[in-house]
Amino acid sequence: MSASVVYLDYAATTPVAPEVAARMAECLTRAGTFGNPGSASHVYGEMASASVEAARAQVAAAVGAHAGDVVFTSGATEANNLAIFGTAQYYRESGRHIVTARTEHKSVLDPCKELERRGWSVTYLVPDADGVLEPERVAAAVRPETVLVSVMHVNNETGVIQDVGAIAELCARSGQARVHVDAAQSVGKCGVDFAALGIDLMSVSAHKAYGPKGAGALLVSRRRGTHLTPILYGGGQEGSLRSGTVATHQAVGMGTAFELASPMSMPEHERIAALGERLWQRLREMGGVIRNGERAARVPHVLNVSFAGVEGESLLAAVQPHLAVSTGSACTSATQEPSYVLRALGRDDRLAESSLRFSFGRFTSEADIDTAGTVVTRAVERLRQIAGT
Amino acid sequence: MTYNELTRRHFEHPARLGTLAGPDCYRGAAGSRAAGTWVQFDVRLGRTGGGPRVLEVRFLAFGCPHVIAAAALVAEQGEGGAPEPRLPQSAHSLRERLDAPVEKLGRLFVVEDAWIAALRGAAAHWEAPAGAGDAPGGH
Repeated sequence: MSASVVYLDYAATTPVAPEVAARMAECLTRAGTFGNPGSASHVYGEMASASVEAARAQVAAAVGAHAGDVVFTSGATEANNLAIFGTAQYYRESGRHIVTARTEHKSVLDPCKELERRGWSVTYLVPDADGVLEPERVAAAVRPETVLVSVMHVNNETGVIQDVGAIAELCARSGQARVHVDAAQSVGKCGVDFAALGIDLMSVSAHKAYGPKGAGALLVSRRRGTHLTPILYGGGQEGSLRSGTVATHQAVGMGTAFELASPMSMPEHERIAALGERLWQRLREMGGVIRNGERAARVPHVLNVSFAGVEGESLLAAVQPHLAVSTGSACTSATQEPSYVLRALGRDDRLAESSLRFSFGRFTSEADIDTAGTVVTRAVERLRQIAGT
Repeated sequence: MTYNELTRRHFEHPARLGTLAGPDCYRGAAGSRAAGTWVQFDVRLGRTGGGPRVLEVRFLAFGCPHVIAAAALVAEQGEGGAPEPRLPQSAHSLRERLDAPVEKLGRLFVVEDAWIAALRGAAAHWEAPAGAGDAPGGH
């Protein structure tokens, strides 16, 4: 990695915390807990199982859940798939309708599209211009045959926080629908309490919170009697909901990361918020900039800005040598698709493409923010000059 | 996306940026900012020796780095040439030199269209009075 490139993409992933890496390493070698946690017949398996269960308790404690609610997965994408396909399949005789939002992550939207192909119907709600889904609108979309409402807690592109507790409360009054929350961006960034939210299912990810990639979990509320049909079959691990040998080091890494991440201290929260505000104040001096989700409740770690009068790929190319940020485009080899999240907020294609997501974390400094402000300001002003805008 | 050295150079340091104004200057543009690619060329014509020449070129471009680099390259190559409504090198050749993905060929055609529009406008005014030896009015 180039140390000269300022990393402002913590919403994409975070570096593994040194404590986490150390704990994970202990699980990998002969001297550590390398055994199969499913091997109950010997001490190696028992040690690994104990490590996994300790990690399960850490994850549960970090998000206000019971250890028995935690189903380890390969990440939030698998957790979202399990929640959606598992619920749809289990409750298929009760109804075949799902409610979700246009601004959800692809790992929610694509399973919903697949279910539509298989005969389910899906209502895709469009949030307001700030990215907020009014709980009343979500509840109003629930029908007698709705089996699942899936709404993310913190949007990965804008940082906008949805009132998932209110959504769950209203949906509970509206019918039988189970509520799933994609909370991949929440842990360590804002409070999340699985039990208090009154939801049935919640997806979490390790690598957004200084844990390893390839580790996540689906929380399945036993207290609420939530049931799922598995999507993987085999050894019956994870309460038969996720077959496959549990990766001890991944679970331990996730548990350690979640223990460290939650709750985030108020001074750190304020430090991050101040960094975001410092960058925004610098960028807004240029004019022709829009802070996406401006009037909504947001996590302080994400700042999403649209820049008028510049083309998206050129903007990214201009800042890329100096900054690691995400763009408002899903860039493939040659073409760019404007961010569907920003499009859903009413941005036109050009503004959606010419948006940058800055996301901050534990290692972001004021100097990083000032570098970003200078680099982006110069790039935008230069590209506007080239474009005559 | 990665860019080759030629693209990076013309994208980061585009020469001949801007506009021209005056009696011997002609403008052509193509594309639209709303559609994601827009290019404008201004050319200043004059007579050197035997015939008319493009003495000066300026451009503006809204588009991806390949479009900006292509416009800068065309502006550079066009100066000193005959005012003929065709690119100094084809859009296909530009794509190869800039190592642009084939899917971007359409954007390079916008560069070509803008250049041709500027030179057609210039040619229309320069052909008629050529016999009289007068310079035409500008755009």
